[in-house]
Amino acid sequence: MTMTDTNESENKVYAIKTTAKQERTVADNIEKAVREHSEIRVYAVMVPDELRGYVLVESPDEIARIEQLVEMVPHARVVLHGDTSFGEVQHFLSPKPVVSGIEEGTIVELIAGPFKGEKAVVKRVDTGKEEITVELYESMVPIPITVRGDNVRVIDRRDDEH
Amino acid sequence: MAVRKKQAKVCRICHRVVEGDACVMCGSSNLSEDWAGYLVIIDPRHSDIAKKVGIDTPGRYALKVR
Repeated sequence: MTMTDTNESENKVYAIKTTAKQERTVADNIEKAVREHSEIRVYAVMVPDELRGYVLVESPDEIARIEQLVEMVPHARVVLHGDTSFGEVQHFLSPKPVVSGIEEGTIVELIAGPFKGEKAVVKRVDTGKEEITVELYESMVPIPITVRGDNVRVIDRRDDEH
Repeated sequence: MAVRKKQAKVCRICHRVVEGDACVMCGSSNLSEDWAGYLVIIDPRHSDIAKKVGIDTPGRYALKVR
C-alpha cells in the first residue's frame, strides 16, 4: 500500500439543474469550461434521457468548485446540494431495452404516430429491434401494426389479476 | 437558443458521436441517428463512469444506440 494510490471511489457525482432541453448543450459547455479552467476537475458528464432537466457530473472536487463551474456555463442553473456516489447512478449507464415489461397479450396505448391514442393488444415483441407488433383494440378487422417500443405506454398486463 | 435541428450521428460500434460520414476512431460508417443518452468523457483515466462503460478515449458518446 502506498500513499499515492489513487482511490477512484473519491469521485463524487453531482446533479446540475439545467434549462429544459438544453442538457446536451450544457454537457458540451461544461467540457469546454473544464478545458479552459484546469483548476476545476470534472472527469465525465452524463446526460441520461430519463433525467430531464439535469446533467450528472463526475468530479473529485467539493461542491463549491462545481458551483463555480455552474456560474461559467450558460443554461446551467444550480447544483443540487449533496453528492451522490457512483453506485447510485450507474444504472443509467446500461439502459434496459424499451420493450422490457411488454409481452404478448399486454394492452398498450399508442402514444405517437397516426394511431396515437388508440388502444392495442401486443401480438409479437422483437427485443432485438425494440419493436412490437400490435393489433388495434377497437378495429373490426385485425390489422397488425409494427411500432417502436417507446411509442407505446403499457396500460394493463394480461397476467395481472386486478 | 436554436434547437439542434440535425440530429448528430452515432457510431454503432464504439457509440461515439460522429460529425461526418464515418467514425473517426474505428473508421466505420455504420452510423445511427437513433440514439439516446449522452455522455461526455473528459478524463477517462480517472473517471469511474468511463471505466464502467469501457471507454479509454475522451470524447462524446451515446449511452444507447439503436
